[in-house]
Amino acid sequence: MSSRTTFILLLLLVIFSTLVVTQGVGRRDPNDIVIWTQDFVPGRELLLQQLELYMEQHPKLKVSLIYYETEELRNNFIIAALGGSGPDLIYGPSDQVGPFEVMQIIRPMEDLFTPEELACFQSDALVWWKGHLYQIGDRIGNHLTLVYNKDLVPVPPKTTDELIVLGQKLTKDFNQDGLIDQYALAWNFVEPYFFVPFLGGYGGWVMDEQALAAGNPLPTLDTPATVKACQFILDLRNKYRIIPRECDYDMADAMFKQGKAAMIINGPWSWGGYAKAGVNFDLARIPQISETGLWPTPMFSPKGYSISINVQGKKLSNVVELLRFLLSAEMELQFTKNLNTIPSRKEALNNDIVKNNPILQHSIEQLEVAKPMPIDPAMRAIWDAMRPAYQLLFSGSLTPEQAARKMQEDAVRKIREMNE
Amino acid sequence: MSTVMATTAIKGFFADLKRNRLAYYYTSPAFLVMGIVILYPFLYNIVISFSNMSLTHFRDWHFVGLRQYGRVFADPLFYATFGKTLAWTIINVFFHVVIGVGLALILNRPLRGRAIFRTLLILPWAVPQYITALTWRGMFHYRYGEVNLVLIKLFGLPPIEWLSTPLGAFGACLITNIWLGFPFMMVIALGGLQSIPHELYEAAEVDGAGRFQQLKNITLPLLKPVMIPAISLGIIWTFNNFNVVWLVSNGGQPADSTHILVSYVYKSVFNYYRYGYGAALSMVIFFILLLISVNFIKRTKGTKGVY
Repeated sequence: MSSRTTFILLLLLVIFSTLVVTQGVGRRDPNDIVIWTQDFVPGRELLLQQLELYMEQHPKLKVSLIYYETEELRNNFIIAALGGSGPDLIYGPSDQVGPFEVMQIIRPMEDLFTPEELACFQSDALVWWKGHLYQIGDRIGNHLTLVYNKDLVPVPPKTTDELIVLGQKLTKDFNQDGLIDQYALAWNFVEPYFFVPFLGGYGGWVMDEQALAAGNPLPTLDTPATVKACQFILDLRNKYRIIPRECDYDMADAMFKQGKAAMIINGPWSWGGYAKAGVNFDLARIPQISETGLWPTPMFSPKGYSISINVQGKKLSNVVELLRFLLSAEMELQFTKNLNTIPSRKEALNNDIVKNNPILQHSIEQLEVAKPMPIDPAMRAIWDAMRPAYQLLFSGSLTPEQAARKMQEDAVRKIREMNE
Repeated sequence: MSTVMATTAIKGFFADLKRNRLAYYYTSPAFLVMGIVILYPFLYNIVISFSNMSLTHFRDWHFVGLRQYGRVFADPLFYATFGKTLAWTIINVFFHVVIGVGLALILNRPLRGRAIFRTLLILPWAVPQYITALTWRGMFHYRYGEVNLVLIKLFGLPPIEWLSTPLGAFGACLITNIWLGFPFMMVIALGGLQSIPHELYEAAEVDGAGRFQQLKNITLPLLKPVMIPAISLGIIWTFNNFNVVWLVSNGGQPADSTHILVSYVYKSVFNYYRYGYGAALSMVIFFILLLISVNFIKRTKGTKGVY
């Protein structure tokens, strides 16, 4: 065999291997549907069961579910969609709609469903953006609430004054070694998302809502409300000492599960874990701010499905049929029953499964004072502008006034940079 | 000068291609795969670095010349992060080498339970970095972390706010990465030590050389050809060590104060969708590393044989 023939054979082998390895990457089989999700394990397990049921009913279809962590899901989808591949359906919180729409990688959905079908959903579950429907939620809420251990806190505090008084009783050093063994409250207070409820409680918000509605994202962080909210969290930590000096999400979660924190501020994704850990818990609204008389305003957002821009033709009708199944009241109520989610369909919300569930009812009470999370891509710049200045409060590097000013300046700059 | 060198190299390549045609045929599939997975993304990155690709110009991007590079060099944060990256790299590699070579010297001697010690000391390297980083993060917690508990209970010192102060968080990242990195240097040094002929030490002893003189005149010079490439690799890995910084400090916390250049690029690209800017910054990092590595190898004559 000549060297030239050897070379050609080797080249063919490489091409063949590449084709075998990458087979399916750019698939366009209309009966092969792929969903990417960022949902936690219990949610994924239930969704898989539902998909298996659907495939039994539709033997020609194959539906695959792939998990990515939220950020990974977002980044991978952007890259894949740009290359003409990726999933057909993407599941996640509504704030991903903003960047996806700007990048033109998801398609409008209002022409795929009848107005009657859409009218069956609560308005908060339909994510409209710039005049088009880009996401339909299978659940709403996803908001923070006060979760309390009923064995340690028989009656939850209603106001921040009550929280402080109760907190000082609940924060204990059992063995008198100078180290606190039980805190009244622990939560991921260093993250702006977990700070925002208090910002609303002092009458502030992250963006000017009117300007945002007009398509102009304008941060509103350098305000007295931000200063007061920052000072309140600092006081809980430094003055009243009823929260740990350092706390991130995992630490707060572990402390609550182990009874080292009597209360936690957390979202619906965590409740299953607390039940599994054997914590005797219930929910209540985050205490009212005594100074303002306002309720803290956690952000809420639906979680649901968007369709990739690359889905067309026969596959699109298959995807829409699958969505009708996944967004049916029956399927939503399975999630409600197993995972305490608030269903997005009106009829499901009136079901006894929802009405007779005290946890859900308390969650809905909190939802009544929550505010929708803006889906404008600028929200990301605002989170990232808030985080450094806010965290520097806890090392004493900035005062609340300086932090509020820095948050605003950074947010304006980052929004400008994002749009360059 | 560089054009002449490049032309000579290209001419040399084609001359070699003619001489060893069959060898090139055999290796061409590997070159093809390398081209697809390394060369193409690299070239694409170069192209993007001259573009305005971003959130608002994702599909309709166009060339903007050197504008993104201008932005990189005009940003004061770049210089602060670069300084921090240099400090991060120097401190880490210094301790990796000192601890690694020190332990290798100990393990190279007759020692009871040497195999057990060797296995134990390689463990930090064997455990997935992700697990190690998150475990260390837990150990640095103010109230429940083992590090502070040791400081309080064994030494009577006040606890340190490792994760909520910029200096503490950077220190926590450094300690974690030093712990993670010394086994690699130890393994390389151990291999180097075992290849040094024992006769050299015997001859040195006959000549009356003490242990320190043997270390200075035999061990270290003969370890050099092994250690220089390892240190070069260590510099590149440490300079680009995203995982430890990101996981231990939870994405640069507090206040984005622990970022090194590579985590700063990640944030620019994936948090703010500034693809053009991120690509330009990546190219700058590439050239910084190239310069450091070439200069380091040249100055230390690391590729020169010693025997």
